[in-house]
Parts: sequence; structure tokens; C-alpha cells
Amino acid sequence: MAWRSFSKRALAAATFVLIGALASACGSNRAWLVKPHQREYLADRIMRPDSNALESSADQHVLNTREGAIGGGGTVGGGCGCN
Amino acid sequence: MQLTLPFSRMLVCAAILLPAPMLFADVQGASRFTMFREPGEKNAGITVLHPQADVSAEAGGASVGAGYEVDMVSGATPRVFGGVDAVTSATRFSDLRQAARANVGWNVADVGLSAGYSYGWESDYISHTLQVGARGDFLEKNFTLGLFYTRNIDSVCDANNALAQGILDRKSLVSSDKCFQSGQTETVKRAVDIHTFEPTLSWTATPKLLLQFGGTLQLLDGFQSNPYRRVLVGSQGRTPQEHVPDKRQRYALFARANYAVPALRAAVSLHGRAYRDSWDVLAATADAWFTTYVMDALLFGVHGRYHQQTGAVFYRSSPDYETLGPAGSYWTGDRELAPLGTITSGLKITYLRTRRQKPDAWLDELELNVKFDGMFYNVERFGPNSDRKMALITQVGVSARF
Repeated sequence: MAWRSFSKRALAAATFVLIGALASACGSNRAWLVKPHQREYLADRIMRPDSNALESSADQHVLNTREGAIGGGGTVGGGCGCN
Repeated sequence: MQLTLPFSRMLVCAAILLPAPMLFADVQGASRFTMFREPGEKNAGITVLHPQADVSAEAGGASVGAGYEVDMVSGATPRVFGGVDAVTSATRFSDLRQAARANVGWNVADVGLSAGYSYGWESDYISHTLQVGARGDFLEKNFTLGLFYTRNIDSVCDANNALAQGILDRKSLVSSDKCFQSGQTETVKRAVDIHTFEPTLSWTATPKLLLQFGGTLQLLDGFQSNPYRRVLVGSQGRTPQEHVPDKRQRYALFARANYAVPALRAAVSLHGRAYRDSWDVLAATADAWFTTYVMDALLFGVHGRYHQQTGAVFYRSSPDYETLGPAGSYWTGDRELAPLGTITSGLKITYLRTRRQKPDAWLDELELNVKFDGMFYNVERFGPNSDRKMALITQVGVSARF
């Protein structure tokens, strides 16, 4: 119960901080944002976590059948926003 | 085994029709072969051969794709968890799992949508998977928010235990020969429904640092035992079919950091995950990659991974099941539900040829790679498959973009 209570509070705090950070970022000047011309390194293949979908799929397939934990791969729905 | 007719038709149609309306599209093809070998000290262990192939095409923001994969599994596994001869009396088996999938996507400006369907089939398991996803970029593409939802509607073949007096009398499935056949009474079809939600947030934090956060919530409802497995419970020598709860909720949170090191023409990737589920399996996983260009067309990567988990609340070692009996009304001989640690280490070599390196090439990009991993298990002495200490995983992949 203590763990569940702590995890709920931690999740609520993290959500609050994230929403606050995004809201303040939208309202302020955007000098801190990374510009398209600054993305040379980020656009490199070795920086893209989802650059090889079949490899990620094969790796997850092995791990999901050998270990009790799943998920958290983080290779879906994200990216460097380079394009 | 041959493809069943509707799916062979589907793949042939996809191969013919996909390129037609996308004559000038960005077309990609990829294939990968994985060999997983887990030797046992006292039996043949497990070998899995896993070929995969994918094709996709993209034009004007729209994309279509199709894929096919096979698992050819062979080896030996103990059918009873517990007892002195459990390991040496392992039963030899072989199985073939196939899956075909198709997906469509739509990307315009800062928004992307995708949907996919896959069908997996083997002698004792049938799976329908639907997936939808949405992605949105905001704050000048410094942030990408993604949400994927996956729904599995699966069927498992089980022994017909309608006449069993109680759960201790449940018999295991002996063979898949009668599975999914109408007009027979030896087996029954059991349902498994799975809902998976996966939100992610990517943040381009600096010109060299990419961060990603997210999680997975999975809700399972249905038959989740191994229908073939039995567990020795109690001192009277009874070996009922494995019995685990029908419902399970699984939660995972992760963070990833990718950092560019231009001085070395390299990147470092760190990944951490925390996991918990309603069966009380707690797990922590850490993964690190270092990838560098050895030459313009050659990449070299090394990685290490550590995973540690506790056992499910109803898991006991085989001597404890025998002397103390089951924990409540559930019992399992699944290594995934036992206290387990794994250490994985390996390397990857990639040959990469792009049009930028060779402007007159007819391919936009060609990639060949090989990857070797060693996975070392730490299972307690009387845990499931404790005679299997390690696995070797070899992968060979090729992909091309036109």
C-alpha cells in the first residue's frame, strides 16, 4: 500500500512538473529551443533510437519471452523531430 | 508448413499492389534473421530460428507496409516443474509460429497517424492484433508526443477439463494435434484479451542530447498458463496443470538518453526501466549502447544490459511447492515468474552505404548488419530451467531504401 501511495504521489508530481514546464515554455521566448540548423548530430543514424524497426522487434521478442517484465522500449511514437 | 491461402494471397497482393500507385515513392525493404540458442546442461535446450521480412512505401505523407515473420522452435523442455527427474525427463518438441501484418500511416506537418493489423497462428495459439497510434510534434519539433494502443484478441488451445473435480485435478494438454478442430472433445479454446497503452514523450534537449520518457500499461484477461506444463504440488505427488490468475495488470516506466559525441563520431545511449505488475513481479532494467563510425561506411557498436526481477507472489521453488504446497490456489513453473537476473552483452557491426557517399548509386540507402549477444541467467538452484545458464543470440539484417 505504501508503495502504491508513493507511486501515485510521484506520478502526480511528475505530471504537474511536466505540464508546468511545457506551459511556461510555450509562453516564454523560445531561444532555448533547438533550431533546425542545430540538428546535424541529432539527425545522424546512430542517434535515432528507432532506426531499425525489425531489430527492435526481434530484440523485444527475445526479451519478452525470457523475462517477466515487458514494455518501456520507447521506440514507438517518438523520434528526434528532425524531419 | 505452407502459408494458409488467405494470407499467402494477402502477401502476394501486397507485393503487387503496393508499388503500383507509388511509382515515385520512397520504398523500403528489410529482412532479418535471428538465431536464438539456449543450451541445457542436461537436455537439448531450446533453439529458435526467427526470419522476418518487411516492405513499406511512402508517398505524399501516406505510407503502407506489410510484413511476415516465422518462429521455428525446437528443443526439449520439462513438462513437470518439480521432482527429481524433472530436468532429465524433458520432452522434445518443435513448433512453428507465423505472423503476417499490414499497416497504413499518414504524416502531415506535425501530426502522424498509423494503424495496423497482424495475424499470428501456430498449432495451439491464434492471435489477432490491432494497433493504432498518433504522434504530434510541437514547440518547433523539439517535443514529440506519441500514443499507441494495441488490442490483442487471442485464443489458446487447452485440455478439456470440464470434468475435473477441482483445480488440483486439472490435466495438462498433451499434444496440439486436436487443437482448434470442431467436433472433438479433447481440447477447448480459451480466450486471452490484451489491451496495451504506450505513451512516449521525446525531447530534443540540446543539439547533442535527445531524451525520451514514457511508459506501458497492459491489461490482460484470460487464460495465461502454459497448457502443457504441470507442477508438482504437495507431498502426495500430485501434478496438476499450471494455474495462474486470469487477470494481470502490468506497468512500466522508462527513460532514455541519447548523447552525441562528435569528437569520436559516436553516440552513447542509456536506457532505464522500472516495472511492476499485479502479480507482484518487480523489475529494474538498465541498458547502455556505445556506437561509433569506424569508417564512413562502417559502424561498430557495443552494449551491455542488466535486468533483475522478483518472483510472482504465488511462485515457489520446486522443493517449496512440494513441502509447503501452493501459495494460495495458484502455482507456476515459469522462469519468467521466478526471481531472475540476466546480464546481456554484445556487439554489432553495420555496413551503411548512402547516396550521399555514392551519388550515382541506384539505392538511396543500403544497410547490412550482424549482431552477437550473450545472455547470462541467474536463476535460483531449484528454479525453473535452472540448468540453462545462458543463451546466444545471433542476428543478420539487411535493409534497402529506393
